[in-house]
Amino acid sequence: MKDLVNFFHQAGKLKDMPRRGWVINDIKNPESIADHIFRASLMVWILGNKKKLNIERVLKMALIHDLCEIYAGDTTPYDSVLPKNNKKRREFMKTWPRFSEKEKKRLSEKKHKKEKEALKKLLKDLPKKLSSEIKHLWYDYEKGLTKEGRFFKQTDRLENFLQAMEYWKKYKKPPQGPWWEWAREFFDDPVSLEFIEEMAKKFHHKIKPRV
Amino acid sequence: MDIKTFYITKEKLRELKKEYDELVAFERSKTVGEEAPKIFESEDINPEFLSFQEDMSFLRSRISELKNVFDHYELIKNPAKGEQNIVGLGAKVKIDVDGEKDEFMIVGTLEANPALGKISNESPVGKALLGHKIGDEVVVSSPIKTIYKIKNIKYEIS
Repeated sequence: MKDLVNFFHQAGKLKDMPRRGWVINDIKNPESIADHIFRASLMVWILGNKKKLNIERVLKMALIHDLCEIYAGDTTPYDSVLPKNNKKRREFMKTWPRFSEKEKKRLSEKKHKKEKEALKKLLKDLPKKLSSEIKHLWYDYEKGLTKEGRFFKQTDRLENFLQAMEYWKKYKKPPQGPWWEWAREFFDDPVSLEFIEEMAKKFHHKIKPRV
Repeated sequence: MDIKTFYITKEKLRELKKEYDELVAFERSKTVGEEAPKIFESEDINPEFLSFQEDMSFLRSRISELKNVFDHYELIKNPAKGEQNIVGLGAKVKIDVDGEKDEFMIVGTLEANPALGKISNESPVGKALLGHKIGDEVVVSSPIKTIYKIKNIKYEIS
């Protein structure tokens, strides 16, 4: 039980960790990583019912998918190229960062390795069966090994996209151009695409986007 | 179980078949008590497999997932020479997105990984690029307009 208490204590830290994507966009009182996990779980349960998924599996995946960030921290695609100067940074956030094929591979491997090590550290004192289950759920999410893994990857980003639109409506940031550019390259699941279409109607029907 | 067609490259198919053989051999070793294949003793080969050992239900669901792919796949092949100037599945497309350079490979959903430049043929951008030629400007506009200018197309599927 001692190891479980320690584990839950560590997991609780996600309640106080702001999502980095909002911090670099100067969003006031941004949501925490735990806030994101809460709504992503709710979304994947309900949207997953349309896909005949193993809901228990996909819900567990949602709950554990960002645990590695306790030690690895939250990252964004902007991190490696973000200017330090505030004015330049704000300007930079108006475009979606594009990288060479080699750089994409390097950044992706670096992130995966860092998060894998962080997860290993977090799980090291847990019972082997539990730590193994969490580890393979995470691999599934990372690599899209099952239809649950592939769908949750989309739902995870869908929650993020919804939050981006909510902040944009409230604060007129983050800039919407790069979000849409990314979304139309990333999402391919019919349920996700239908959801996005409805979000567009809700958030973009009157206000001209400031990009 | 999904009954959609999975468009995959030969390389991916080879990779999945290898994984399938290893997983089936491992499952057999667990159920009939044979010695586990050597692959599971080395973390250098594929550390992801190591975690399967503790969870037979996941091992079986992955095996069944792979069987489903083998039953419903279609190989992505290089098009005929005269059609290699058109964006299709498997094409590597150099583009200019509102002035920024990028390169995509158009793949099926199973291989899609936008972080690595592999764009699904079922995504709005993947779908919009299909059928276009070098020099075409493809506009994706809902709700914010983005112009993808096609600079080059090549096919390198082995």
